[in-house]
Amino acid sequence: MDIKKVLNEATKQIERCSSQQELQNVKVAYLGKKGKITELLKSLKDLSLEEKKSTGAKLNSLRTDIDNLFKNKFNGLKVKEINSKLKNEFLDISFPPPNSIPSKIHPISKTFDEVISIFGSMGYSVAEGPDIETDYFNFSALNIPENHPAREMQDTFYIDDTDKDNKPYVLRTHTSPVQIRTLLNEKTPVKIIAPGRTYRCDSDSTHSPMFHQVEGLFINENTNMGDLKGTLIEFCKQFFNVQNLKVRFRPSYFPFTEPSAEMDIAYEIVNNKIHLGTGDLWLEILGCGMVNPKVLENCNVDTKIYQGFAFGMGLDRITMLKYGLTDIRSFFSGNLNWIANNGFSIGDY
Amino acid sequence: MKFSYSWLCDHLETDKNATEIGDALTNLGLELESLTDYSSYSKFVVATIKDFHKHPNADRLNICTVDDGTKTYQVICGANNVKKGLQGIFAKDGMYIPGTQIYLKKGKIRGEISEGMLLSEKELNLSDDHDGIIELSDNFENGTSAIDALKLNDPVFEIGITPNRGDCLGVRGVARDLSAKGVGKLKPLKYEKITKLDFESPISWNIENDNNSCEYVISRYFKDVKNTVSPEWLQKKLISLGLRPINALVDITNFITHDLGRPLHVFDADKVGKKLHMRLAKPNEKILALDNKEYILDSNSTVIADNNNALAIAGIIGGESSGCTEDTKNVFLEVAIFEKDSVAKTGRTLGINSDARYRFERGLDKKMVIEGLNYASYLINKICGGSVSKNIDSGKLDTNERKIKYKFDYFEKVIGIKLEPKKQINILKDLKFQINQSNEKECDLLVPSWRNDIENNIDVVEEVIRIHGYENITESIPSPSDDEIVKINNSLINKKFKAIKKLKKILISNGVSEIITFSFHSTKAHETLSGDKSLKISNAISDDQSFMRNSMIFNHLETAEMNYKKGYKNIQIFEIGPIYNTSQSQENILSMLISSQENTNTIFKSEDFNFYYISNLVSRLISSLNFDAKQFNILRSISNTFHPGQSAELNMGKKLIARYGKVHPLIIEEFPKLKNSYAIELFFENLPIDSISRTNSSNILDSQFQFSEKDFSFVFEKEQNLFEVQRYVNGIDKNLIKNVEFFDLYESKDLGENSKSVTFRVTIQSKDKTLDEKDLEQIHNNILEKVSYKFKANIRT
Repeated sequence: MDIKKVLNEATKQIERCSSQQELQNVKVAYLGKKGKITELLKSLKDLSLEEKKSTGAKLNSLRTDIDNLFKNKFNGLKVKEINSKLKNEFLDISFPPPNSIPSKIHPISKTFDEVISIFGSMGYSVAEGPDIETDYFNFSALNIPENHPAREMQDTFYIDDTDKDNKPYVLRTHTSPVQIRTLLNEKTPVKIIAPGRTYRCDSDSTHSPMFHQVEGLFINENTNMGDLKGTLIEFCKQFFNVQNLKVRFRPSYFPFTEPSAEMDIAYEIVNNKIHLGTGDLWLEILGCGMVNPKVLENCNVDTKIYQGFAFGMGLDRITMLKYGLTDIRSFFSGNLNWIANNGFSIGDY
Repeated sequence: MKFSYSWLCDHLETDKNATEIGDALTNLGLELESLTDYSSYSKFVVATIKDFHKHPNADRLNICTVDDGTKTYQVICGANNVKKGLQGIFAKDGMYIPGTQIYLKKGKIRGEISEGMLLSEKELNLSDDHDGIIELSDNFENGTSAIDALKLNDPVFEIGITPNRGDCLGVRGVARDLSAKGVGKLKPLKYEKITKLDFESPISWNIENDNNSCEYVISRYFKDVKNTVSPEWLQKKLISLGLRPINALVDITNFITHDLGRPLHVFDADKVGKKLHMRLAKPNEKILALDNKEYILDSNSTVIADNNNALAIAGIIGGESSGCTEDTKNVFLEVAIFEKDSVAKTGRTLGINSDARYRFERGLDKKMVIEGLNYASYLINKICGGSVSKNIDSGKLDTNERKIKYKFDYFEKVIGIKLEPKKQINILKDLKFQINQSNEKECDLLVPSWRNDIENNIDVVEEVIRIHGYENITESIPSPSDDEIVKINNSLINKKFKAIKKLKKILISNGVSEIITFSFHSTKAHETLSGDKSLKISNAISDDQSFMRNSMIFNHLETAEMNYKKGYKNIQIFEIGPIYNTSQSQENILSMLISSQENTNTIFKSEDFNFYYISNLVSRLISSLNFDAKQFNILRSISNTFHPGQSAELNMGKKLIARYGKVHPLIIEEFPKLKNSYAIELFFENLPIDSISRTNSSNILDSQFQFSEKDFSFVFEKEQNLFEVQRYVNGIDKNLIKNVEFFDLYESKDLGENSKSVTFRVTIQSKDKTLDEKDLEQIHNNILEKVSYKFKANIRT
């Protein structure tokens, strides 16, 4: 019996196979129950013990070799068959996807978030109040009595409905009424910010009938004007991401704070772009001051013990400054092109 | 307020230049708004119109030959005061015109060449006067600089005066504040008091006892005056303010208004009766004012009147009929104190913004009444001659000055820095507070008569730090306390903002863009969506913004339409913001709109936008907040904003959580391009985002044993709520039923008009063992039996 011959013959037959089925038939012919190798192994029983040993080993090795040949051929044929199938499944990968507008977060949302987060890290929780306010909360409680010239500084929208004092409701002209609401509802100390919508009847490229403000209020036993300065400078450094920030605080007037101040940030024009933090020009950023004791008394806060500061800033304004936007009206235009160009994608929010 | 450098120097002895003074003003809280320096005007020169003729192609234009001293130019001019020999101010080709903010360019106007421009006051930013070109009254050599010809060699400050600083509405008040800051020394007022008051005034006063706003009035009568053109110094001052000189008498009152901040009025004594009254106006009483407008008064306004007519609106504006003209021979000067709120109210009601009103409503220095009277008398007498009567007055001049007991250590408590009592006292003295008594701890202050705004200790602290300088306040950053951090972590509103952020992220990743629209509704939107009547804005800017919105959907449809017109086909937008049910009820909600056009792309067949897409999105939004939409009650929405058959609302108890579906075709009629529009309103504030016992969004427990799936088909009544079926099936065996997924809905005539066939797949798995055939069959039968019994449903096979 020529083992080598059997192996050669099997190799030839295996190589000739072009399909898995054909190969399977050949496999049965060799390794099946009645296959050649099986038959040969069966014939071992007629041999002497010594021959059994040597021939048996050879035959087993032959069977392993042939089995490997089958396995390799099988794999080869499988790859070949899949490949030929894949050829029919080719798509036009260059077909252009439809143009869709990138969906973005409004820049004001991003500012809201940053303001809440920066002040949150300083210990401020968020408070709220309604857009349609009473005359008392929007003005009188804030030490702005009727006929006060400060009322003329703010062009107020009135609502065709009256409150329990028989005064028409107003659209809040600032977020400051939230100071009153919070002081009346919460126990001192109070440390809050209140972002939200505000309204004044005014409309041009820097004024919109609706805009956003954030109010800040910190009432404690010893909160002083140095704390006010430090807090606001720190906020601006973080918000505008400028470490060396040149600022100035100058005296101003708001009926609900005293002393009152306005905070300016230095800027210069570099390559036709505003550069914040340095230079000799000044941009007004916010109004602030120590809460007028009259306001605290209106809220039943004991001014012998408590004092503190408040501030208010335009969120649209700081957003425009940070991102170099110029027309506040575009914020509320709903123009998807504008949002796509100026908004923030999910990773940046 | 506006004033020139030289005017300031009439009151202030200083070696500081205009820029330094500007900085000091800002640091005092008198914010410098602009400092106009005319030095660049030297390029504009005096020129004479040598000759002119009509433009052949334009009726209103003239072709002028203009001589600027070096050569002649052809200039096309449209002014109506063009005449031969007129001397004006000339700008040549290439020069920048400040009033119009453009550069002149030589060119043809209607076919005729124009080589320059003769300027109006407006074009030079000197006033709003655009009636004609400047006509110089004096003779100048052609080529003289405009600075010399117009006397502009004097920088002009414009400062913002906050409502509390009425004392700085006169140049003298500004100088006084600057001197307190150490910028210079206040000069004494330079004028001579008239001592020869030798006759009784033929006109007398009566303040009626009718609650009118006049506290005190004092007057003098000037006999045989000659009203003329004002002297040059006076004209120049008024021009520097942008005021036009009229005649000496009027100019003097305007000057004192701006110099001392003390408004006063001159009547032509021959045009008024002999008895003048301060009284309330009669209802609907009319007066033609100096601004040539007729005002109809109400009985809350105070007027100055003779026995017959109202002559002036008290503290606001004089009347046309009694005004001084160049023919005036006899003058009656009036200086009064009017109650500020009353002036403010009348001024606001009538819409008159006069220099007088501006000062009265901010409160005047009562001691300035006599000073103003004396100063005006001196000027009238000096410029117009004649003789002056004795004083005639009525009412009581109450200059009761305010006393404050000031505690020095209050300064440190409020400001956070130490300032010795001695230094504080020095500052207060510079501000002309009178210090009557003082010790280490406190002092008695007498507030200057011009500072009506200073009433208590905090006002004094503000004065001290204002002069000491805000830049000297040491900054500190209070670090957050543990209590504050706990409060933030527990704050419902902070949690709400976190929830809002999650919702926004979901929508952005689904291709929806965030927009912000106004909180308003147009009248049309208000009516279409049946808003409450209490939402009307009384003084709306326009009809588009005349109500507060009770929904965002209309605004979003308008936005979608606008974007559609820009070429966007599939519009997906959302807004998180307020809507208003009534003037006292506001809700913050999420509102989303999808408006799509038919997808014609045969390759990219995107998901269809329909009710079920929207429903799925609602479910995902709600589950991002850790709630399961399927746990809520689902009902057909009855809102008239939505299609009645393709909209739903989810409720948690009585609280509305979400409303969504196809926008009602009646609303879409306004937006025909947006037929396929779907909206979601998510009332996230109604979700108890604080509650700890959140519903588990699924009861899939990790189990290592094999699971099995089985499909069930039932025929239900058509209106059967499938949310209920799903909840019921889930509850049949909570240990073994892991998931119930609905995947087919079928309606047909064969089933009957009132039926629907529904198929769902139940996943069954035990956490203890692999279930055998017998176990499974038992559960399957259980489901079939219970569902068909509970919902009167037929099993489909």
